[in-house]
Amino acid sequence: MRVFDLSVSEMLWSRRTIFMALVVGAPVLIALFLRMLDAFGAPVFRVNNAMMAGPAIFGLMIWVFYLRFTVPVLGVFYGTSLIADEVEDKTITYLFTRPIPKGAVLMGKYFAYLACTLFVVLPSVVIVYLSIVPMRGNLGASFLDLLKDLGLLAIGLAVYGAVFAFIGARFKRPLLVGLIFIFGWEQAALAFPGYLKKFTVAYYLQAMVPHAMPNDSVVSLIQGVFRESPSLVESLVWLAAILFVFLCAAAASVERKEYILEQ
Amino acid sequence: MAVEAVVMGTVPVVTAEHVSKWYGQVIGLNDVSVSVPPGVTGLLGPNGAGKSTFMKLITGQLRPSKGDVKVLGEPIWRNPHLYFQIGFCPEQDAFYDRMTGLEWVRALVRLNGLTEKEADEAARRALAAVDLMEAAGKKIGAYSKGMRQRVKMAQALVHDPQLLILDEPLAGMDPIGRRKTIRLIRDWGRAGKSIIVSSHILHEIESMTSNILLINNGRILAEGDVHQIRDLIDEHPHTVYVRAEDPRRVARQFLDDTTDDVRSLRFEPGAVVVETGRPDAFYARLTDMAASGEFGAIDEVTSPDDNLQAVFQYLVK
Repeated sequence: MRVFDLSVSEMLWSRRTIFMALVVGAPVLIALFLRMLDAFGAPVFRVNNAMMAGPAIFGLMIWVFYLRFTVPVLGVFYGTSLIADEVEDKTITYLFTRPIPKGAVLMGKYFAYLACTLFVVLPSVVIVYLSIVPMRGNLGASFLDLLKDLGLLAIGLAVYGAVFAFIGARFKRPLLVGLIFIFGWEQAALAFPGYLKKFTVAYYLQAMVPHAMPNDSVVSLIQGVFRESPSLVESLVWLAAILFVFLCAAAASVERKEYILEQ
Repeated sequence: MAVEAVVMGTVPVVTAEHVSKWYGQVIGLNDVSVSVPPGVTGLLGPNGAGKSTFMKLITGQLRPSKGDVKVLGEPIWRNPHLYFQIGFCPEQDAFYDRMTGLEWVRALVRLNGLTEKEADEAARRALAAVDLMEAAGKKIGAYSKGMRQRVKMAQALVHDPQLLILDEPLAGMDPIGRRKTIRLIRDWGRAGKSIIVSSHILHEIESMTSNILLINNGRILAEGDVHQIRDLIDEHPHTVYVRAEDPRRVARQFLDDTTDDVRSLRFEPGAVVVETGRPDAFYARLTDMAASGEFGAIDEVTSPDDNLQAVFQYLVK
């Protein structure tokens, strides 16, 4: 908890915050822009001569901006840097020469990551919801979906964060490995029929989305064809297991590792 | 139990038995066996000698490739409980720059299990001990080099440890800061604390303790009384880099004085580099000059380790 206290403000004011602001700010700006166009009567999202309703656009944005991009990207950028940033800044010495296990340092920093990202991502989703859903939709009717979306994104940030915390603790070039994992391995595994997709986080996460999956690219079209969804309970159990295993593995890895700071 | 025995002064504070450390193909420490007694001990050696590796091994940041390291009678690697008794001031000039000195020291000592209130009191005490209370509310990013060194010392001593491990604590300090820090270290030693302090400048170490470990090329060359080594170093010229507001004025005073302790000098941007044959007299005079304030601010005093390297070459011939 004390490492959490120490880390949370450092994390919020780190270089990565600008990146995070851009990542979560983009959908908010797009939502506000769409709302403005709609207010001026512009034909936004007209499909087969029918205007798309706000809840459908919101669902699309959750898939495209948050689930496929924001959550894994924030996970990879923050998760892999939990310890790496302290090593790079050479401040890790101060934490590792205090009477707390190194694994606890990682845990404290992980929870600081989670607090920071939730603090920024969830309000952004709420703003998008409030901007988009009233366009030919009803805020009250979609409220349950919003809650599901918020829960889903929180779980996504937690699980991706744990996976990338492990990658950050274990690999020499964790950012590269992390980017390959989300944009290479996960995309490819989801596009093929068979059991490979079970070795991704996205497989379980996407199964819980309350909105229809968009077919906005060739890859997502193929993924849609071969899509099979585990049950909600199965997804939650697997995501909890992934979170637990990777977080413990990350803590164990940090515990055993020597950090040699460049002079 | 072991820690209590150390406190009673019956057990060495650090023991290393046949300790080696490799970084891939590079050897950092080579089959070192040494016992550091309670009290103040200086670890003296040129850059690259293995001082930092030794410091990192005895603070549990590195695991020995071979051999055993015990601190206060217990293995240090993966033994966080020992850090209740150890304070470490690292060499690197790295901080959470956005925090104030007080916030930083307080946050770190909270990791020792202190409550918010206890941590605040302890942090204030530690900052007062290093004479930094006036700047406690300033952001560390705005601190001078000397203040940064002192705030590092404060975080090392804030939890009142039995053993203080200080890696080059005087590096980059101004003369007055050096004098204060040396006095602090001596006081802590007199108060019964054990201190291991590293430096590549013999005269710094000598002003703190007579008990030294001499390290070079990853090996402990000698341990014991500093005075024998001192006699050797006096035969070699000692170079001192003085960064000052007005280097020419400072240089003029060096040459005007009758103490005859300056052999030569040259100028670098914002600094004067002096070669002295009598380092003790020179450092004393420099401190007096800085304290008088008549010669403008003297911001930084450093000594390249080529002086010591020359002595080591002489010693290992």
